[in-house]
Amino acid sequence: MSVLLRHLESFGALLLAVIWISPLLFAFWAAFHATTDAVNFNLTAPWTLENFRTAWDGAPWLRYFLNTFMLVTVILIGQFIVTTLAGFAFAQVRFPGRDIVFILVLMQLFILPEVLIVENYVMVSRLGLFDTILGVGMPYMASAFGIFLMRQAFKGVPIELHEAARIEGCGWFGILWRVYVPLARPTYLAYALVSVSTHWNNFLWPLIVTNSPDTRPLTVGLSIFGAPENGVDISIISAATMMSVAPLLVAFLVFQRQFVQAFLRAGIK
Amino acid sequence: MTSSEPFVRVENVAKRWNGQLGVEEVDLSIPRGSFVALLGPSGCGKSTTLRLLSGLELPDEGTITIDGRDVTTAAPSERNLSMVFQSYALFPHLSVAENVVFGLKVRRVRASERQEKLRRALEITGLLGYETRKPGELSGGQRQRVALARAIVANQPLCLMDEPLSNLDAKLRASVRKDIKKLQVDLGITVIYVTHDQTEAMSMADIVVLMKDGRIQQTGSPEDLYYRPANTFVAEFVGSPPMALIAGAALPGFEGYDKIGLRAEDVQVVEAGNGRLTCRVSECEFLGSETFVGLTHSSASGLTVSMPGLRNIPAGKELEITFSDEDLHFFDSSGRRISPQTGAIDI
Repeated sequence: MSVLLRHLESFGALLLAVIWISPLLFAFWAAFHATTDAVNFNLTAPWTLENFRTAWDGAPWLRYFLNTFMLVTVILIGQFIVTTLAGFAFAQVRFPGRDIVFILVLMQLFILPEVLIVENYVMVSRLGLFDTILGVGMPYMASAFGIFLMRQAFKGVPIELHEAARIEGCGWFGILWRVYVPLARPTYLAYALVSVSTHWNNFLWPLIVTNSPDTRPLTVGLSIFGAPENGVDISIISAATMMSVAPLLVAFLVFQRQFVQAFLRAGIK
Repeated sequence: MTSSEPFVRVENVAKRWNGQLGVEEVDLSIPRGSFVALLGPSGCGKSTTLRLLSGLELPDEGTITIDGRDVTTAAPSERNLSMVFQSYALFPHLSVAENVVFGLKVRRVRASERQEKLRRALEITGLLGYETRKPGELSGGQRQRVALARAIVANQPLCLMDEPLSNLDAKLRASVRKDIKKLQVDLGITVIYVTHDQTEAMSMADIVVLMKDGRIQQTGSPEDLYYRPANTFVAEFVGSPPMALIAGAALPGFEGYDKIGLRAEDVQVVEAGNGRLTCRVSECEFLGSETFVGLTHSSASGLTVSMPGLRNIPAGKELEITFSDEDLHFFDSSGRRISPQTGAIDI
């Protein structure tokens, strides 16, 4: 009985894995074959790089890559600064109304980002940041999830370390920089992973707030490239998709072990 | 500043946490270069007193003066002191060397001077060769020494220690106790040391401050506390075994006193008919060179007699004991020590 159950479990896991990875496998297959071979699943068909050549020439991909890279970097830096300071304040600084303010911040988690799109659009325009990378990143910098995560990480730091640093002459900022930030490194790493992959893949908001190839990230560029009115076929879209996801995918495969460990360590605390 | 002025002076300090007892009416004057132990059961306010001295807590009342300067509301870093925490509070992400020079770095001491001070501190604490290790890779005793090195590296004249030995095993504790005492004498620093272990307090300190329920019960040398306990709490706390207390009414000629104290070493067992009190044996505690025989008597508590060598007296056996009048300690009905000649409060 238990043997059967165990087999059933591994079978279920395997099935899920296959279902999840099949679109990616198909895109990979299609990207390296001529369109007719790809659709017909002609297993003996010759492999080709022609799709990549066509796709590469079809849009300013390098610019898109650079935009996405700058976007995730700007967001991550902004999030690190805001969540560190806010998390520290909520974890270790006593000020009147702290709990109420913290609950207000947490309420942000209940609001779908899509609901705020119009409001954010108005705000970003008013700030004069429409169609800029900063404008795309701005609404995500004060992340409630990040603030919560940092607060939890900082709360796990033994109070004696804080006090020892005070005795040794550290001010608030010194304590934060020399004690709390280094000790929360696994949390920063885990959070960076979530943030980078989320914003690498983010689509709707950048689509709305960008207007030119100079600011458009990969996801938006890819959707415009693959739009039906451009008359591009499935193999070329697959090639473009493979190019877009490749950096993240490679990074994940290379750092797989560290990623999982970072999550585990951040979770245990 | 004259040398007779105390190095650390605490005057009428109180600290309360909304309704909860902190400390009350704490007065201390600590001479430069002395070793002071704050002793007491848990929750007596000794750690609070230390934290008030360190500046990690601020008092609700009273003043604290260190080296002639009023530091009552000063930040911890402005008080020129170092501190050893019970948990050592070593920074786990820094190496031994970085931990030790942490404060020097924060205070922007030059790198060459830092290096020199680090070497000296590590030499004194016997940690040379461990510079690059992380605290997680050290044993409990080594971590403790890193904490000590960090406390002495800056040459602060005052060092506060909060139960620094409580995480060590008994054998190590005895040797580190000697090391700390030697360090304090060699460096000539003033140490204020919190402990709940009276052996530590009695063996290391020049001055012992015994506290209970947020108030100081007695301040004095270890001999003072042992031979002249100020009240019944001190009598029953200090010494192993602590002083026995006998109701005055049970001793002919001493009916006027509420409680009479008697140490185990001052009690002798005598032949039946010659004793001043007749007791029953409750247990025998063999310690090697002597055996403590616990006795029960209807109007005494904690009565013990120390007998040389191994004794095995069955429980319930009747024993008669005697003692001389000059070994007795007298306390009035509120527990305070009084002089047998004058009947006045005698501290």
